[in-house]
Amino acid sequence: MVNLILKFVSCCRAADMRISTAEVIDCLSQLEIMDTCEEPLFQTILRANFAKSRREQGVFNRLYHLFFHEMPSGLNPESLFSEEIQAGQSQAPEPSMNELLRQLKESQDDTHHTQNQGDTLDRALMAFLGGSPLPFIEAVQKIHTQDEQASPLFKSNLGQLSSRLDIMLRINRLKTQMVQFLGSNNAWAEKDVPSVTAAVNRRLDKALEFLNTEPRPDNAGLRETGSHTLHYKTLGQIPFSNLTLEEIKAVKEIIDKLVRKLEEITSRRFSAASRGVVDVKKTIQRSVKYLGVPVEIVHKAKPLRKGKIVALCDVSGSVWSTARFMLNILYSLKTCFSRVKSHVFIDRTFDVTSFFMSHDANEAIKRILNDTRINYNARTDYGMAFQQFRDHHFQELDKKTTLIIIGDARSNYYNPREPLLEAMRDRCRRLIWLNPEQEKFWGTGDSEMLKYRDHCNEARACGNLNQLMAFIEALVL
Amino acid sequence: MLFKSVADVQTRMEQAGYIPSQEISTIVFLAQETQKPVLIEGPAGVGKTELAKCIAACLERQMIRLQCYEGLDESKALYEWAYAKQLLYTQMLKEKINDVISDTASLAQAVDEIARHEDAFFSDRFLQTRPLLSAITSPDPVVLLIDEVDKSDPEFEAFLLELLSDFQVTIPELGTIAAKSRPFVVLTSNNYRDMSDALKRRCIHLYIDYPAIETEKEIVRLKIPGIEERLLDKVVQTVARIRQLDLKKKPCISETLDWARSLMILQQDEITEDVIFRTLNTLCKHKTDYGVVRANIGQLIKA
Repeated sequence: MVNLILKFVSCCRAADMRISTAEVIDCLSQLEIMDTCEEPLFQTILRANFAKSRREQGVFNRLYHLFFHEMPSGLNPESLFSEEIQAGQSQAPEPSMNELLRQLKESQDDTHHTQNQGDTLDRALMAFLGGSPLPFIEAVQKIHTQDEQASPLFKSNLGQLSSRLDIMLRINRLKTQMVQFLGSNNAWAEKDVPSVTAAVNRRLDKALEFLNTEPRPDNAGLRETGSHTLHYKTLGQIPFSNLTLEEIKAVKEIIDKLVRKLEEITSRRFSAASRGVVDVKKTIQRSVKYLGVPVEIVHKAKPLRKGKIVALCDVSGSVWSTARFMLNILYSLKTCFSRVKSHVFIDRTFDVTSFFMSHDANEAIKRILNDTRINYNARTDYGMAFQQFRDHHFQELDKKTTLIIIGDARSNYYNPREPLLEAMRDRCRRLIWLNPEQEKFWGTGDSEMLKYRDHCNEARACGNLNQLMAFIEALVL
Repeated sequence: MLFKSVADVQTRMEQAGYIPSQEISTIVFLAQETQKPVLIEGPAGVGKTELAKCIAACLERQMIRLQCYEGLDESKALYEWAYAKQLLYTQMLKEKINDVISDTASLAQAVDEIARHEDAFFSDRFLQTRPLLSAITSPDPVVLLIDEVDKSDPEFEAFLLELLSDFQVTIPELGTIAAKSRPFVVLTSNNYRDMSDALKRRCIHLYIDYPAIETEKEIVRLKIPGIEERLLDKVVQTVARIRQLDLKKKPCISETLDWARSLMILQQDEITEDVIFRTLNTLCKHKTDYGVVRANIGQLIKA
């Protein structure tokens, strides 16, 4: 049993689940307490110890099914619940499968002795057939997290796709090889051939399914907040991209008013919260005035606890109109946060914090628009932008930072690289996505919003003044 | 009295008015046996806090609750010295202090003499215990509920680690205080932010989802004993269908109960479009959700 659990744990780790040794020990001791003989109980114990958030449960369930239900019976805790699991499955007798693999390997060794047993992927597939899915899971995980080559001249979204295709072709080749081998090898009894072929095909189909389907995390904690407060009837509802010059001016005035109001509220709130614990030293000092009687009790001022903000803004096309207002507000409110950092991207990211440090928000925005380093004609590529952010600015994220991404998630069909967003979420306190498009357009055309939404703590439509004001009030207050 | 088996958890919790799933009872039993905290996740209103209360009732233990929020610190969660009281005592005992140091020859000796008595001022008398310290110093084991732990700051989460793994806390003036009895710890989270791996590692994880139709029926039956079976069936089915819709806030169990109660008060035994419209505000708490429910009304009331 211990070996079985350990093998399963290595598969989970290969699929990027973080399971510590302490958790494995806990799980084993709990299995001992329960002296389990029912599968649901067994699964509950494993899940409670290995998948410690709702988001991980999808990956866990998939691996559990693959490992305990699809792999050869040798892996099953047979004495526990083999009948239930095996029911309805046309498994070939494992010994003949293993024998087949051994013979096939020998014949391959004979023919390709120069290639040194084929490459890693082939070996992983053979191991999968033989009942140990670990190398295959590792290979698939590598595909999900592989980086696209950042070439300035030629961009491609085909990296993952071609690696995936490679495995698919190998699976097909292996199927053909098996059939040929069984047909040409007289050592196999006629009656065994169909059942073994079926079993091999079934297992390879499972490998294919595992490769091509990725469970979407159940983002149970996602907040999707719509704005219902109509601060401004007409002006508030016009999308930022459709504002006329005069309207922009009006919007700016409103934003200024909002900023002043928020600053006032927060300073009042912080001053009320500043009464901390008693400062004994100062209280004793003051008591000297009153012959040692502590009439005046002095409290230690509590330092303001302010959040840090990192903003990552898409500055292409229509998104820019939202991003500029957002950046404007964030920097006007910088007294409410302990640090505001901002990056803009189209296909690569640029740190623009320095513009805002040395100029006022409107001037900074003007300068960013005229910065020659940013190629405004490039095609938006979220995957690449995230990759660059991870490579160069990941250290800016910590558990006190709120990461705000402003973008329409339209990535021109480039690889969306959502695992990178997941990694960002893991590092920061909250990940909030503001999309200038309204919810009904999310996921249409080249929008990857639904994929990204699964990794956000909060996703909001933020395309007009009302929505922006609602968001800012929620963020600051 | 401790739970004897998973089945015992099931029976006793049902008697206490909570219908647990097999998974919930298994985890509760394991948490008791291994003395590990349970971290419960799930949407609002599925009975996370209620579970802790029910465990306390079943084990006949006192429940101590710590509600987490941003800015919660040790002085509010663990202990605080009663400074004002200490100062007042110093004033009142001034003469006594004079007596203590009257025999001393030098200032250094006087300080030493006072130092010998400083324990009197840093003793339990001046210690204001807060929920966490109360939970571990209680002579009888208690159930400690750390509610909405996701709302607390990362610093507080880090501070919880010592408590949750060793069941002890360190107070500089008093030393390390180990638990007199190990509390049954329940942490709940609404997923406002992700908890750290270190915290998760110390807990057994439990996700409570909206209940299955049959379980929800049992819950309503238990809480509203007089409800007619036909109405009950329709209420629960309709709520389950509403939960399938893409809503901002799905109706939780207490809202099902509220809705069932309102239907009973209005003496409605059929669920029609009109009835849903009139009573929708007990189920939906967002303006856009109203719109979604209205748009799908046909689907909701089909037999």
